[in-house]
Amino acid sequence: MLSIKVQRLITRIPAELAAGWAIARKDMMIYYLKPNIIVSGILFPLFMFLAFAIGRNEDPEALIPGLIAITILFSASSIEPVSIPIERRVKTFDRLLSAPISMNTLVFGESLSGFLYSLVIALIPLGIGVIVYHTQVFHIVFLSIAILLTSFCFATLGTLFAAYPTENVGEVMSMLNLVRLPLIFISGVFIPISTMPLIGQIIALLSPLTYANDLIQYSYGGSSHFTPVLDLIILIIFILVFQAGADKLYRKFNE
Amino acid sequence: MNAVEVLNIKKKFPSVTALDDISFSIGEGEIFGFLGPNGAGKTTTIRILTGITQPTSGTAKIFGHDIRTETIAARQSMGIVHETSNVYDDLTPWQNLMFTAELYHVGKGEREKKSVELLKIFDLYERRNDKVRGFSKGMKRRLTLAMGLVNSPKLLFLDEPTSGLDVQSNLIIRDVINDLASTGVTVFLTTHNIEEANLMCDRVAIINHGIIAAIDTPHRLKGTIQSVQSIEVSFDNSSVDNLSLVSLLSGVNDAKKVGDRYKLYTDNLPLVIEEVMGFAQKNGLKVQSITTLGPSLEDVFIKITGLERTGVIIHAID
Ligand SMILES: Nc1ncnc2c1ncn2[C@@H]1O[C@H](COP(=O)(O)OP(=O)(O)OP(=O)(O)O)[C@@H](O)[C@H]1O
Ligand SMILES: [Mg+2]
Repeated sequence: MLSIKVQRLITRIPAELAAGWAIARKDMMIYYLKPNIIVSGILFPLFMFLAFAIGRNEDPEALIPGLIAITILFSASSIEPVSIPIERRVKTFDRLLSAPISMNTLVFGESLSGFLYSLVIALIPLGIGVIVYHTQVFHIVFLSIAILLTSFCFATLGTLFAAYPTENVGEVMSMLNLVRLPLIFISGVFIPISTMPLIGQIIALLSPLTYANDLIQYSYGGSSHFTPVLDLIILIIFILVFQAGADKLYRKFNE
Repeated sequence: MNAVEVLNIKKKFPSVTALDDISFSIGEGEIFGFLGPNGAGKTTTIRILTGITQPTSGTAKIFGHDIRTETIAARQSMGIVHETSNVYDDLTPWQNLMFTAELYHVGKGEREKKSVELLKIFDLYERRNDKVRGFSKGMKRRLTLAMGLVNSPKLLFLDEPTSGLDVQSNLIIRDVINDLASTGVTVFLTTHNIEEANLMCDRVAIINHGIIAAIDTPHRLKGTIQSVQSIEVSFDNSSVDNLSLVSLLSGVNDAKKVGDRYKLYTDNLPLVIEEVMGFAQKNGLKVQSITTLGPSLEDVFIKITGLERTGVIIHAID
């Protein structure tokens, strides 16, 4: 009985993956160059960062990892909160909701486009670091894993927020910013976690950006607040929680 | 096996009961029409049958698959044409079709062949590589239809397929639906257009306020109200509006103007004919034509739904 169910599930994997990939490609063709995505996904983190970095006279080696982390946070989580409310408004979202695919695949496909978007955008701070400041990366493998996991984590966060059943992009965006902006300050991007007061250190544990930033810091400087493997595991847990949460919310709001 | 099997479906929204315990089934290859005024519950029914919305209670099966528990299997065999033409404006017709086909896991060769075929049928082939933004309403509607067919469905849902379209688009769409039916595809369509339901459907359900008021072939539905009859008459001087006068003639229960003719409803045909002739003579008019008619599906509809025969309805069923 169970094995038939599992078998059926396995035979469906190619179809589900193909559909997820089709959804991601559709988002790329339509939304990557929309002005509000460029503003909130690229310009916003850049200006944010400049506002903090300029005049602080910090070592670029210490700044670049943080810049990468918040660039990914903003770019990865900016596609779905724009595309999904728009698609609700023009009713193309009904196509996705009525397709012969699981809700998890829909969530995954949507997140995939934010993920790929931020992989490309992350090259900007990475490139600035290498070309302008000649920063050295110590663990290229950890850096790659960090960028992949962080991108996927925040892309799924964007999809999760876009579950809120509105046709208004601004509504999702302002809710998301209510979370994204504070994350920057509590995650050790500008102020190292070890120098935070105890309450700050505890709050920092709740933020996925903490672990993303820590892992990226580690791949640059070789030192970290937690261990890189712990960062990695916790990021994966965040991805799974966001994915499951999104799956649940999209179902709930469709009743 | 029935294509669709609906049992005691209820759908309650916080402010309104959209569907109140409806049951029906649709046989394979049948063209089944859902006829009802605005807000009757037509779209809600389609949303439940396609698994977009969950019913409050009741069950629906698509070719034996429960839409709630075997959603994917149930959906695999269906094509859906939503009420709004929900196409991607930033993509071309070709990209729209490819994307839809990929959602249904149609192989590359198959989806390209099918898309060329559909684009030609729906007269969009020349425009296949233009962005949809800027297409006319009719073109978008035809593309929506094509997207609903790209996975070669066994069951097609059409939510008001022809509403607000010109004659040419209407004809293309009706032809396609009839062709599909002849190849054994089951069609579930909603409409407020009584003539469309009458022409196309094997069976029609009349739905109002979330309740199915009647369900039968158009022919037999008309038979249920045989007592309602009407005549259509036209006078030579069509520029003068005589509606208010003819509606006062004895034996006339109701009257409306259809183009340059008057349609008079009665249950006493000989009396009304006599009255009309007298009226013409008295007013110096010549009767140009006079036709007696049996009940139309519209008459059934109005009788069953309890709607008033007013201008509003005539618009709704344009
Ligand atoms: N998401 C919703 N939330 C609340 N009420 C809804 C919702 N969807 C539909 N309704 C209500 O359910 C009833 C049936 O609506 P439905 O859209 O099914 O009608 P319809 O027959 O398709 O009408 P139309 O001909 O105008 O398309 C209406 O009273 C409508 O206001
Ligand atoms: Mg409707």
